[in-house]
This record gives sequence, structure tokens and C-alpha cells, in this order.
Amino acid sequence: MIAESSLSLLYRRAGFGATSQELSAARALGYDGLLSRLLQGLYKSDPAADAIKLPEMLKPPFYKPGSLNTPAAINEFNQTLYQERVELTNWWLGRMVATSNPLREKLTFFLHCHFPTAISKVRFPFYMYRQNEIFRSQGAGDFRNLTMAVSTDPAMLIWLDAGTDKLPDPNENFARELMERFTMGIGTYSELDVRSAAMAFTGWHLNSETGEFAVVPKLHSNLPQIFLGKSGVSTGKEVIDIVTASDACARFVVSSAWSRFAYPIKPSDPLVGDLALKYLTDRNMANLIKTIFEHPNFRSVETSTGLIKQPVKYLVGALKALGVSAAHLSSIKPPIINSLAGLGQVLFDPPSVGGWPQNEYWLSTSAALARWRLAHQLSLIGDISLVSDAPSAARVEAVAQLLSITGWSSSTLSALKGAVSNPHTLVVLALVSPEYVAN
Amino acid sequence: MGSDGNCDNKGSSGQDRTDSAPHEASSGGWLVDRRKFLALAGGLGAAGVLSATLGPRLWEDFFGATPKSASVVKPSTALNSVNITRPLVVVTLYGGNDGLNTVIPYESGVYQANRGPLAIDAARVLPIGDGFGLHPSMNGFEKLWNSKKLAIVQGVGFTNPNFSHFESMDIWQSGVPGEPVSSGWLGRWLDATNSSPLRAVSIGPTMPTLLTGEKVQGAAIPPGKLVLPGDSVEQLLYATLSQISSGEPQLLKEAAAASGNLIQLSRQLGQTLSRTAASDPLHFSGTSSDALAVNGGEALAIADGGGGQSAPNVLATQLSIVANLILAGAVPQVYSVELGGFDTHVNQQPIQEKLLGQLDSAVTAFVDALDGTPQGHGTVVMVYTEFGRRVNANSNEGTDHGWANNVFVAGPSVKGGFYGEPPDINRLQEGNLVFTTDFRSVYATMFEKVLDVDPKPFLDGTFSQFLIV
Repeated sequence: MIAESSLSLLYRRAGFGATSQELSAARALGYDGLLSRLLQGLYKSDPAADAIKLPEMLKPPFYKPGSLNTPAAINEFNQTLYQERVELTNWWLGRMVATSNPLREKLTFFLHCHFPTAISKVRFPFYMYRQNEIFRSQGAGDFRNLTMAVSTDPAMLIWLDAGTDKLPDPNENFARELMERFTMGIGTYSELDVRSAAMAFTGWHLNSETGEFAVVPKLHSNLPQIFLGKSGVSTGKEVIDIVTASDACARFVVSSAWSRFAYPIKPSDPLVGDLALKYLTDRNMANLIKTIFEHPNFRSVETSTGLIKQPVKYLVGALKALGVSAAHLSSIKPPIINSLAGLGQVLFDPPSVGGWPQNEYWLSTSAALARWRLAHQLSLIGDISLVSDAPSAARVEAVAQLLSITGWSSSTLSALKGAVSNPHTLVVLALVSPEYVAN
Repeated sequence: MGSDGNCDNKGSSGQDRTDSAPHEASSGGWLVDRRKFLALAGGLGAAGVLSATLGPRLWEDFFGATPKSASVVKPSTALNSVNITRPLVVVTLYGGNDGLNTVIPYESGVYQANRGPLAIDAARVLPIGDGFGLHPSMNGFEKLWNSKKLAIVQGVGFTNPNFSHFESMDIWQSGVPGEPVSSGWLGRWLDATNSSPLRAVSIGPTMPTLLTGEKVQGAAIPPGKLVLPGDSVEQLLYATLSQISSGEPQLLKEAAAASGNLIQLSRQLGQTLSRTAASDPLHFSGTSSDALAVNGGEALAIADGGGGQSAPNVLATQLSIVANLILAGAVPQVYSVELGGFDTHVNQQPIQEKLLGQLDSAVTAFVDALDGTPQGHGTVVMVYTEFGRRVNANSNEGTDHGWANNVFVAGPSVKGGFYGEPPDINRLQEGNLVFTTDFRSVYATMFEKVLDVDPKPFLDGTFSQFLIV
């Protein structure tokens, strides 16, 4: 690949795409220099993103006991939560647009996809925010510590029912999904392991008035279990230690990250095996990501044509390219959360603990219409002067520069050429072109 | 669309009947003049050019919002693979509905003992015979049962139960137990019949695996009016852009195909969808396609899956769109709709009561809306979920992942009653009900009795069928 397109690829995968100015600035750094700057950003302060105002949100206990005693009161309460949710969505999108450390917001988004947790059950935006901050502040570190932090946080305790676990017959929800979806992958444990782990998680408790986590001794089973071949396991902490130290977990986490940052891959792929060995030496997420971006297979056509942009990435990339500021986001009507719903990806609301599938999942006819409508909306509020100020003959070139696209198919090119007299139409068509929809 | 040339739809594009008065229609949708249709559908470029140059007025004349009786011709025998007299509506309940508290063996002491506080009191169930009763929130299903329009297939599942939501649902949607395959059971039917994507549609932003073939993917229909953005020039150029360029990477081709399918969807169903968006055939106030909210709010409600505390009945919204299309004699033959939130590990009772109530009222109103109509009377609704739940309730007043479950089949012309064998609640395996009926028997029945095709090419083996329809 030529140098410029690999810079653009890195910006797309380690962030949300580059503006044409960012891309020219990166030329001086080169690939390694840009990568090292993006990685440093994981630990730097982020005043541009922090300037986005966090919405006011209700905090635990959320309501006074007995206060939601009429349909009108319940309705008003739900309206408040809905409004908070719209604002929180704008807040995170705004951070993604404004950030000067895009890899950290991208990693935060990756972890939202890796530990899918949905507000449709959690209910309270404040709890989704708390989880989001764990991803942001601990996401680059040790995966075991991250898993422990996410697991004992209110959003996950509510989402997978661990926060109410008790004897004698614990529910198995968290025990199963922890292994199946977050750490090891299906086929690497038995049903008995699920039941043993569920027993170890008994007594985990979320205090609904304070939002605090505790292990309640009288609800906890001290009976030692055999779990994944180890005997004497009796606490949830031990279960998390064991699963996150396993070879299966290394393969699972590596394949999850490779699938989202490069292209979809199975845990059984030989490429995963090599990366997993390296990952197991420290289980550090920043190092894993660094290894992925440095891997020879990353800078390949397979990667650059291996993903359809997820709607959130599509939206943020387009907002950046068209210079729509984070501050402008909340004034967009109808709220941008509706556009995300039409595209099939609502932040903080994955369809299940399985999260969002990839690629073909985003290519429904229904999403194609939503994308077209969104492209219209964005072309009207965005800055397209790069295209409109160019002479007609140079506009196809200009829109490619605006969206950092390095080449067009013959069909796309003939469509774009037909629109050079109308810059808005030209931008809309480029935004819905297969070249931009794919990554 | 694009390269597939839309072959299967020739002549059958029974799109856009305005005639909502059901009683004067002929047997199964109307047909535009075949030659005219082929001229339009022969290639995306041609169609795109025409749609842009004809403009909506002429376009409507061509595809006719109001068919003259002269243009209503019967399908020739050569086209008999296209038979829209029996629409199939597949309802997926995500999360694993607790079948034991849905069709309840309320006389069983084992049931009462295992379920403890979760057991439904015998006095509250809605008895339907053989010692079974429906969940108290299902009065509509009781009514359908009593009028012999509801069939219940008992003990449905597969060997080697899979307790993962995702693998179990993959098995159900692909129709293949064991090694996962990427195509859906109805997707393979789309492939084999070389169908247009519009022959099998889902309602909402995304497309479930069950309608995904290797070659053909069903279309996803957005709720609300279907109006393409932009002026005619832009729409023409959009169609140009959605032509598949040879030599492009696979995902780019698929992205182009999705845009091409949108053009086709709009052309064939746009008018019907826009015209009926405000109508409410299920008589649910507030659930018509564009009544939930404007500008995508309904998509948000569907994306939330009905699990939210104050969520409207999103299944009713989806089924109302389906009813409008069926009553309009529209081209799709298979519809997929869904309701989520059934994963009740904790505090099951109020959650399941609400969701079963939504299922009950939506499906019942849907069947009522189609009953006796020439376009809809043959409609068959099939309701399934990925697995049943453990017989013994857990200490959280919930239930964990289990095995065998019921499948509901409902419709005005369905032969109601029990089918299959109820699992023996006294002989559990690892605490779970053991399946008695292979789920592919249900699929074989749907293929042969509803879609009128030999099931064998689509299922790995031959499976006994039920005389449900």
C-alpha cells in the first residue's frame, strides 16, 4: 500500500478517520510516528473532548421510594430518563468528534462492543456513563482488572443479573455470558463450569439505593467448586482470575480486537495463535492494539476492504470530515439518536449481550435508506466549501479529498461525474458510495 | 438486485393495489403486463433511468396504483412458483421464552413443586385441554384456540441442546444443527427460487439470518413512509452508483447491492408503504407505522426491542405494516418480525406477563385483521424462540436456559389443536425438558404446506410434517 493510504487506514481504524488537514500533518510523521502519537494519546489528557459538557443525570437512588405511584409520575420519570439518554448519546458522539486522542475514544467504543450492555434493561443513563468511564480510564490497561471493574459495576450487575445472585439456586446469566461473550468463547467450557461459576458469584449484590457493589456473606456459597479443572474455587474474583488467565481468553480477546480493528477473524485462525502468545505475556490492551497496528497483515488490502463502517463510525467520520462541531450535535433535529436507530446501531443499546454483528449486518435496504437520509442532513449542515469552491472539473477530486477516499469504482465515478454541477448532491452521493460505506 | 436481473419477480409484481376493499379481489394479487415489467426491471440502469425520467406521475401509471380489471391476469403455470395466497409470517421471540409458563401443565405436581413461587396458579390459567392452560395474559390466544385458529406444536427442539442464546438461535435461524452455516432456512429458499429480495422481508433496520441466502438477502423494510431523499436527478445517480462494478472487493459489491435493493424496494413497495403508513389495520391506537414518533423514533422503539419499561407494543407496529402489505396484495411472500426481552433469569413474572400480553394482543389482532380477506385469509403465523427454560426455577424468581419448547402456528385457515408430543416432565435431562419433535418438522411443514415447495433441498434430511394448514 502506498504511504498515504496506510496513514488514512490507520486514522480510520485507530480513530474515526482523518480530516484532510490531519492527513497532511501526518505525512511528516510517517506511519510509525503517527502510530506512536496515537498510542501516547491513550494516556494524555484530552481537553478538547473534556470540554463537551456532561449532561445532568439522575443518580442513585434515582427516585424516592413511593414517589412513582401514578401513571403520570412514571411517565414523567421515563421522559426524564429518555432525555438524559439522548443527551448522553450526544455527549459521547461529541467526544468522538472533538477528541485529540482518537484512539482512546475508539478503544472505549471497541470495549462497548466487546462488553455489550444495553440501556433498555439497565434503564439509567448514569450507570451507562459510569461503565463508559471505566472503558475510557482502564481500557488500555490489564484485561483482568478491566473485566473485574466492568463486572462489579452497576450497569453489568443489572444487565446480566449478577447483582441479585443468591442461594440456593443462583441464576446463571452472568456466569455463562462472562465466559461465552467476554472472555473465552463458546466450546471452551462445560455446562458444569457454568453452574460452578454461578455458585461462586452468589452473594454479589448491587445496592440499588447507593449504586455500590458488595459481596453479601450470608447470600454467598462458600462451598468449593471445581471450575475449569481447578478445585477449591469459591469466589467470583477467583472465577474472573481463572478465565482471564486462560489460553482460550487470550485467543478470544485477540480475535475480538483483530475483528474490530482489522477484519473479521475466528479465534481458531493461526494469526490469532501468534498474537495470543504475545498477549499472554502481559494481557495489556494497549500493547495488544499496538501489536495489531504494527502487524504486517494489518497494512493490507484485506484490512482496508475488510470492514463496513459501523454506523457510529460512519456518523462520526462524516461529522468530522464535514466540520460539524460537537457543539452543533445537540441542535440537530430530529435527534441524531434516531438516525443511529435507523442505521441499526444505537449507542448504549446493543441488541443483546452478543453485541452488534459486523459487515453484512449494516447492509440492509432499510439501513441504506437511513444512510441516504443522514447523508442529506449532513450535507446541509456541514461545510462542503472544499467541494463547492472547486471548479466543476475538479469537484470529484475535491470530494475524494474531503472524505479521504483514494479511488472510485467505475459506477461510482460515473455517478459522481453526473453531479458535479450540484455540490450538495455530489457530497451526498460520495457519502453513500460503497467506497465510503466500506472502511 | 443489480446483476440478478430480478428474474423471479417477472409478472408477479403484485405491487401497489390500492384496493383495500378485500372482497372484490381475484385469487392472488394482480399482475402488471409482463413485458412492461421486464422492460423496467431488466437492469438497474434502465430502471433507474426510467424512474428518474418518468417521474412519479408516469411511474404510477406504469406500475399502476389502481389496476384496471383488464390488467388483472392469473399467474400462468410457468409462474406457479410464485404463489402469494399463503403469506408466511415468522415471529422470533429473542431471549428464550419460558414455554412452560406459556403453555402450562398446570395439573402437574412436578410443575408446581419445581416452579415454586413462579408456578402459575391453576385457578388463573386459561385451560385448553389435555391438562394444559395458557398463561393468564393470553386471552387472545385462548380465543384463537377456541375458534380452531391456533395450533401448538409441543416438545420442539433438537438433539444436543445448546444453551447459548446465539448458537441456539443460529441453529434455529439456519435450520441446521451442529456445524454453523451462514445461510438461513428461508434464505436458501430465496436462493433456490432465484427470488428478488422483496420476496422475503423483515420489518426494521436490520436483516435476520433466517432471510439471508448465499446469493439473495431478503429486504429490510423501514417503518413509516418510504420516500427516497433527493430529486429525480439524485435518485437516478444513486441508482447508477448502486450498479455493481466488476472487480471490486466483495464488501463494496455488497454495499452497492444494498443500495440497488433499496431502489427496487422503493419502486415496488414505496407507494403501498407510504399510502398505508398511517393506517392501523390492527386497531391498536398509536401503533400504526408512523404514529409512534416521527423521523425514526419508531426505528428506535424497534431497536429497543420492546424490552424497555414503557416501550410500546413494537410487535404490533411491525405486524401492522405486514398486514397492510398483505391486504394490499403486495409482492412479499415471507415476513419476519420480532420481539425481544424474554431472557428472564430474574423476576420473571412481570416481565413475561407484559411480553406475552404484547405477543397475544398483536398476533390476535393481526389474525383478526386478515380473517376472511381474500389476500390474507391464507396467512400463517409461526412463533418460535431459541430454547425453553429450566424446569426448576432459580432463587431469583427467574429461570435459566433450557431445552424443548412450544411453537405456535396461527392463522385464519390454520387447523387448530395440539401437534407433536408434550415432553415428559417426569423425565428431565440435566433438569431440562427433552425434545420430542425435531424443529425441522415445523420447517418442513411450512415449506410444503405454506410455501408449496418440496422441503428436502432446504433441510438436511426428510422430516415428518403436520397437517396444520
